[in-house]
Amino acid sequence: MRKITSYLVALFFANLFVQIAFAQNVAISGNVKNSVTSESASAVSVTVKGTSVGTFTNDKGDFTIISKSLPATLVISSVGFESQEVEVSSASKNLKIGLKPSAALGQEVVVSATRLPVRILESPVSIERVSAATLRNSPVANYYDVLTNLKGVDVTTSSLTLKTPTTRGFNSSGNTRFNQLVDGMDNQAPGLNFSVAAIIGLSELDVDNLELLSGASSALYGPGGMNGTLLMTSKNPFKYQGLSFLVKEGLMHVDGKQNFPSPYHNLNLRWAKKVSEKFAFKINAELIQAKDWLGFDYRNYSRAATGGSVKGGTRATDPNYDGINVYGDETTVDIRAAALNPIGANVAPFLKNFIDTLNGGRAINVSRTGYQENQVINPNTINYKLGGSLHYKLSENTETVIAGYWGSGNTIYTASERYSILNFKMGQYKVELNNKNWSLRAYTTQENAGDSYNTTIASRLYNESWKPSVGTTGWYAQYAQTYLASRLNGFTDAIAHQNARAFADRDRPNYYYTKFTRAYDSIRKKPISEGGAKLVDKSDLYSIDGTYNLSRYTSKFADILVGANARRFVLNSDGTLFADKKDSSININEYGAFIQATRKLGERLKINVSGRYDKNQNFKGRFTPRATAVFKVAENNHIRLSYQTAYRFPSTQQQWIDLAVGSNVRLLGGNSFFTSRYNLINNPIYDFEGLRKLNDIGQVQNLKYTPVNLKPESISSFEAGYKGLLLDGILLFDAYGYYGQYTDFLGRKVYVQSTTASPIALADTAAGFRYSLPVNSTDKVNALGFGVSVDLRLKNNFTVGGNIASDQLNNVPTNFVAFFNAPLYKANAYLANTGFGCENRWGFNVTYRWQQGFLYQGDFATGNLPDVHTVDAQISVKLPKTKSMLKFGANNLLNQYYYNAIGNSQVGGLYYVSFGYNVY
Amino acid sequence: MKSKIFNGLMAVMILLSSCNKEPEVIKDIPVPPVTGPTLGEVLDGNDDDSLFFRLVDRAGQLNLINDKSRAFTMFVPNNNGLKPVLVALAAQAGVTIPLQAPNAVFSGFISNIPVAVATALVQYNIIPQTIKSTSIANTFPNFSYPSIFNPAPSISALARLNTYPSTRNGAWLNNIPIIAVDQIASNGVIHHTATLAVPSSRYLWNRISTDPELTYLKAAVLKADEGAPAGETLVGYLSAFGPNFTVFAPVDNAFKTTMTGLIASVLVNSGIPLNQAIPIATNLASTPDVFTNPLLSSVLTPQTVKGIVVYHVLGSRAFTNNFPTTQTAFPTLLNGAISNHPGLKLQVTFTPPNPFATGATVKDVYNNDPAANIIINTSPLTPDPLGTSDQNFVNGVLHKIDRVLLPQ
Repeated sequence: MRKITSYLVALFFANLFVQIAFAQNVAISGNVKNSVTSESASAVSVTVKGTSVGTFTNDKGDFTIISKSLPATLVISSVGFESQEVEVSSASKNLKIGLKPSAALGQEVVVSATRLPVRILESPVSIERVSAATLRNSPVANYYDVLTNLKGVDVTTSSLTLKTPTTRGFNSSGNTRFNQLVDGMDNQAPGLNFSVAAIIGLSELDVDNLELLSGASSALYGPGGMNGTLLMTSKNPFKYQGLSFLVKEGLMHVDGKQNFPSPYHNLNLRWAKKVSEKFAFKINAELIQAKDWLGFDYRNYSRAATGGSVKGGTRATDPNYDGINVYGDETTVDIRAAALNPIGANVAPFLKNFIDTLNGGRAINVSRTGYQENQVINPNTINYKLGGSLHYKLSENTETVIAGYWGSGNTIYTASERYSILNFKMGQYKVELNNKNWSLRAYTTQENAGDSYNTTIASRLYNESWKPSVGTTGWYAQYAQTYLASRLNGFTDAIAHQNARAFADRDRPNYYYTKFTRAYDSIRKKPISEGGAKLVDKSDLYSIDGTYNLSRYTSKFADILVGANARRFVLNSDGTLFADKKDSSININEYGAFIQATRKLGERLKINVSGRYDKNQNFKGRFTPRATAVFKVAENNHIRLSYQTAYRFPSTQQQWIDLAVGSNVRLLGGNSFFTSRYNLINNPIYDFEGLRKLNDIGQVQNLKYTPVNLKPESISSFEAGYKGLLLDGILLFDAYGYYGQYTDFLGRKVYVQSTTASPIALADTAAGFRYSLPVNSTDKVNALGFGVSVDLRLKNNFTVGGNIASDQLNNVPTNFVAFFNAPLYKANAYLANTGFGCENRWGFNVTYRWQQGFLYQGDFATGNLPDVHTVDAQISVKLPKTKSMLKFGANNLLNQYYYNAIGNSQVGGLYYVSFGYNVY
Repeated sequence: MKSKIFNGLMAVMILLSSCNKEPEVIKDIPVPPVTGPTLGEVLDGNDDDSLFFRLVDRAGQLNLINDKSRAFTMFVPNNNGLKPVLVALAAQAGVTIPLQAPNAVFSGFISNIPVAVATALVQYNIIPQTIKSTSIANTFPNFSYPSIFNPAPSISALARLNTYPSTRNGAWLNNIPIIAVDQIASNGVIHHTATLAVPSSRYLWNRISTDPELTYLKAAVLKADEGAPAGETLVGYLSAFGPNFTVFAPVDNAFKTTMTGLIASVLVNSGIPLNQAIPIATNLASTPDVFTNPLLSSVLTPQTVKGIVVYHVLGSRAFTNNFPTTQTAFPTLLNGAISNHPGLKLQVTFTPPNPFATGATVKDVYNNDPAANIIINTSPLTPDPLGTSDQNFVNGVLHKIDRVLLPQ
């Protein structure tokens, strides 16, 4: 290993110091315009044919290029235009070039499929690409939403700004099986485990492209990415120059259902400058401010330790009501055992018989009165993003990049509870060296959960603060006495409960009282470890990675690419989330390396084989192979086949979490540390569900937990696909089918422990300590699905298209909660025009999306999701004289509220008008 | 072409987009609204219950029993069943009403009953639950059902005077036969009783301490309490709201006999011949002072006396009609000190067609003595202070017996 390393280092330095001598030069300058609209065409590539000399047009369409000799041929090209070659025989200052917009489909180049540029038509795996041009004509208010319309993509919406995309199942509000990389940096928050690209990542004007790989992709991008990887790439300031801004002003809540009609503000600013041929920089800023969508699901929820269900009943009819988006009502007590039986036994023996008859002698479970989500979460969402980078060309082939992205925001997130993410901050900073043959990158992610808090914990604690639950004058004592008195006065059970609640709640502060706000605020600002609800999380990630393309030396045999990375998670939550302590963090180290070889076999077949090895300090090393083949059926028509494996180390939370949650369960990580912390051997723990169903306590030994080492989960996936341009290039067809098998699937299981270290008893299912531990399923589950898309280019810049995709999970054992969470079918359809009317200045796009209903399983809540239908639309007009564009758009045009996870925010219509200057 | 596609697409979109379902709170299976006549309305329609209806009205309880948000079980005597109670009430007030007087006379009298009295009478016959006849307990000792009558609001808002409906050996409210059951109203059920169950305002100790036939028992209780900490005396319990006892009260003659025998055997054991011992013992036991006689202080210690007294008390309420018909043992308060003591054997005898108990016995378990007889009321349903059996008090029931029971 050490030898290889030193070899790589030597190669690296050898390249770095290769000085390119610049010869005698001729400057050629000119201007490029769109020949139809007469708009200046910026970021157009201008190269001298047969050399590596090239530049880009600036924001005015101007360029200057130095040719070593004359005459020269300039190649002018840009995606969306037909390439042009211009002969230049003398030094010219004002070449006028008109580029003709191209009607061709499928001309894009993708990088992420093999880590090397290939035409999207020749990609060996399923890939979707969104370019800046697509974004410009898209109806979405936030670029992240455009993912929703891609084939096979599901997006879980936690709130306005926090959306989590995934492919091929396993949706959740914080998906750990889908990687998101921003300019090569893993965007997951190291402590919270979910990707935050939507709130802390690229700002809209800086997005060059998004590439989405569906399905397993660990072999190239490392652990995680079992279900897919999203790569987001920003605009290089050498290419995209000048000042741009984009202002979106919108309106939400137009029907006043969740909130008063309120504005949506989104401001974007980008400034990029090429200072010289060697140095360029850019600065980005984005601001979003709005009243967020909130959860308004007040259905009654039956909270079992694993998997619950929606049930009937309201606060008025069910004394033990536990509303999904109602917090504080998770506190529940059997008033028979806690209060009534003691009254019958001690205080009023003459009532014992009567008490025994109440509710047929069964438990009388009563929950405390909760507060609705809109009463405890401030919907004011605000999101700042700042980013910038410095680019310096050390040589013609080597560019240094120093970049940083920082963001802060308020949003709402769903994990095992709903979290109000307040003043969350995350920064990602990198130093990168890019050579055409190699790259080296070091970056860090610095997370700070800010003032984020758990709404359930905060609301339960708030209830305790204004009136404690227990004690002789506690809320439950008051409730029980009033209930009993009402029953003794002949009131029906329902009315007796209402009277009791009214009495016990008689001095309950209303949520809009200052008294409430003050007390609630002091609870949510106190860390969980100190008896509050605040999530302290200042976890960080440090990562270094590099690649080397050995093709120069190996091209006779194959194109070979090698790479390696190492990273360290530093978990720091002051004990509020993880088992760390104040001033003592937990470190997790991982490293890995890969090799990839690509070889053409004949004219039609291209084979790509890769393998990757990863090691996490807490787990055994893993090798993941991948093999792909692309077969050219005809020009622009390819069949692709792939076998991929992917795996995922248990997330930082699955390793180290130590958090008590709403249903009286403590979530623990799988690290053996917890065995001693909670004395799991000497006071053994038992399978909770098993114990509940057990008739004979003599059989209990079968349910005892034996500590096992947690393993990474993995998937092996086969995929076949076809992508082709048909009908003279006006029809782009893409289809895939896949079959995958998951092994050592990571899930959670609830165990129960005696509170007194005495032998376990059936009663402990109610009275014992409950722990939720991560476990590997011994069952193998199979996922399979397909996707088909068609894009048809019509005359006059019309495009119509659609896609449909299906995912399903087979062989799921009974009682196994897989959290698959994908609709059996989903589909999108669109009709768009990129230029019509006067000088083709007008454009529009209408997109319709349908998602079939399915059973959503979540830690927070489980239930059936209904079908979702949405329509997004925009119409825009370009104003070439001012280089600007005016757009009128609507997301969820018909204001049909939808939600795509139980308990998540319900999303309505957002109507906006945007004005963009120099948006390319 | 394009406009057709566009129009078609738009039509499909609008069609499909009109139906996102929002989470709809599922109401419980709706409770059907309470319909039909209420207890008050049913009662008003029962011609033969007109006097009780008047009494309810006098007590100001009509709104309560017409309240559809509540549910009750009412025990209602018909007019003939209520009249004897009214006659007795009138007599207490110095008014003579012949039993055969027309209803109007009784009705007029009801208008003069103090509201508090009427309220107690009515509320004691109302249970705050719907209990159909099939649900009435048949257990022994009697299962207690609180009425809605609070005899001691100053002690607790939760204080209630219990009633004892039972379907053992027939159907009863305390010791009053239930003669018709299950007249259903929208907010409860009515059972008809042979007469009105009258709540007692007296405690067991009120009777024991004043009954001329129970002077020995009174003296024995006081002796047993000697040296007992305040708050833990038998007198206290027998005078308190909350406890629930059955007291088998040996009459004075029974005590005289037993005490004479007891003292005589002590004298004989100390060497005095039997023929001399008996007169001495008879003399010593001739008054209740026997319990305080210093000569006997070593024989009749407070602990010995307490043992005897508590052996006569059950920690629950047992009306004779609810006794087992075959001799069965039940624990007594003595089990508080000797937890495995077998207790007392109880038995009741019925002689059809007489619905009431014609005989009842209580037997100690370690002696070969004959069983003690409960002195059955000469006329059924004779209430305190005149009766001898099934004397109902706030805190228990008292039966006079003709023998003292010895625990060993």
